[in-house]
Amino acid sequence: MIASSQKTVMEILDGSPSQPFSRYAEWLISIIVLVNCTAVILDSVPEIHAQHKDFFHELEFWSVMFFTFEYLIRVWSLGAKTPLNPWKGRREYMFSAFGLIDFFATMPYYLHVFFPLFDLRILRVLRLLRILKLSKYNTALQDLFTAVYSERRAFGSAAFLLLIATIVSASLMHFAEGHAQPEHFGSIPHSIYWSIITITSGFGNVEPVTKGGEVIAVLTGFLGVCMAAIMTGIVASAFANQMSRKKASYMAQLRQVLADGVVSDTEREALKRLQVQFRLSDTEVQTMMDQAAMAKGDPS
Amino acid sequence: MTIRRRTFEILEGEVADKASRFCEIFVASLVVLNVLAIILESVHEIHEAYRTFFHYFDLFSVAVFSVEYVLRVWSYAEKFKASGGSSWQGRKSYLFSFYGFVDFFSTVPFYLQLLMPGTDLRVLRMFRLLRIFKLSRYNSAMDDMFEAIKSERDSFSSAIFLLFISCLLFSSLIYIIEGHDQPQVFPSIPAAMHWFMMTIISGWGNVDPVTYPGVVLVVVTQIMAIALAAILTGVVSTAYTAQVARRESLYEMQIRAVLADGVVSDEEAEHLKSMQAKYGMSDEQVEAIAAQVRAEKGQ
Repeated sequence: MIASSQKTVMEILDGSPSQPFSRYAEWLISIIVLVNCTAVILDSVPEIHAQHKDFFHELEFWSVMFFTFEYLIRVWSLGAKTPLNPWKGRREYMFSAFGLIDFFATMPYYLHVFFPLFDLRILRVLRLLRILKLSKYNTALQDLFTAVYSERRAFGSAAFLLLIATIVSASLMHFAEGHAQPEHFGSIPHSIYWSIITITSGFGNVEPVTKGGEVIAVLTGFLGVCMAAIMTGIVASAFANQMSRKKASYMAQLRQVLADGVVSDTEREALKRLQVQFRLSDTEVQTMMDQAAMAKGDPS
Repeated sequence: MTIRRRTFEILEGEVADKASRFCEIFVASLVVLNVLAIILESVHEIHEAYRTFFHYFDLFSVAVFSVEYVLRVWSYAEKFKASGGSSWQGRKSYLFSFYGFVDFFSTVPFYLQLLMPGTDLRVLRMFRLLRIFKLSRYNSAMDDMFEAIKSERDSFSSAIFLLFISCLLFSSLIYIIEGHDQPQVFPSIPAAMHWFMMTIISGWGNVDPVTYPGVVLVVVTQIMAIALAAILTGVVSTAYTAQVARRESLYEMQIRAVLADGVVSDEEAEHLKSMQAKYGMSDEQVEAIAAQVRAEKGQ
């Protein structure tokens, strides 16, 4: 009895499609997270804070109660993941990224209760971690990270390029302008800040005053455009690669299904699930189906 | 063929004939002239000098667009006639479509002014600007864009979500770190959000941090801005590429079907031609696809 309800609760919290309630749980948690973030934002406006102080306090208290309850129930229910050794599943959750987010977004409140002198600002930062709870429900975001992660080598070399460009332009700028504007380019670390601003925005926070400085500033700004182009290219190709990978594996599945000439219900179900998982539109699937059918019908 | 059917064909550009072509060009050039007039009218001197001319031109355009609107509503009864739908079904599909709204709101406010002379003229001018959207009926670029966005809506929404999360985190962090030192720039998180959005959009939020953690945070935000721009651009370009690829494969399938029996009839050639025009494919693209299909067949 307990074991089965434990499993049900786990499935609901995990967003398993077999549990209709998982949708509502997802919605409830998302709405409370959004309300919380709005409250943190509004609370920072001094006038609003002065007027609704008590309300925000109440809201924070009840949200913490809710999230604590959610955390405890998650820890408890994830015992069902590994029935033989319940603490294994629980440990897995507690030390996963989402488990840590859930923990650190909630528990510091109690720290504050026990040690009232604790720095409030750190507490507020940790409260904002709650927004990351939402990313659990956004699978497209995880896709995006996979796409970016698969191109990490390219990103690494872009970052390396950025590093070199920053250091070179910062040192050149220090030599060119260090005497003229010691308050901005007095040391290389100091001019590094200027370089990064110029490379990323194409426009520095400090105007150069010497001829040499001007030339370096223009070149640095131009480098920034190149950096942006490189990054964009990498991301775009990462997405395109991910897309073609998905299509290729869907196509392979489709070929296999069509190979024996009959499409059984289970096969159709599997294809449907794959389509949802890969986020392919109906037209795309239709096109691929036609292609596969045509390839089969082709005698060559 | 009834007059209503013929009107529908002309307005909808269903058949490629002279009348519908002429109608298309006439409406499109009138729209362009209208937009030009709105722009010129906003220059004070020109408005003073040609006041009556602009007035009569607007009267004329409203008359034409009103006739167009009424004709469209009337003739769209034919839309679902072939498949057995009722007259009002076709009319409703037009009235509540994007173009239906555009046609309505770009024309009807004029009459409102006649009825109630006290209406704010600036609001009226704003509605007049909607006329430019009438052009998009004759160009598939906007449909293309919406379709591409729709097919990649998950990627778009996750990119927007990423923007949302980073906006919240970074603006709160800068508020916490620099709020005490620069209360005039970061008095609250909403103010800090403004700074973050400026950084993302233009690459520079126009604020120099005064604390060391602030410097680090600004640098990270700057780099973040490039990364976010890259992600958005990447999503858009992938969506477009996918869209083009989808069209090409659809066209390729059509060509295969046409070439399957070895003969290309006039009707089939016509159909391919209209498909090419609809998808906005160049002759080179079409030639390349056709050559590929032919080569495969020749093997």
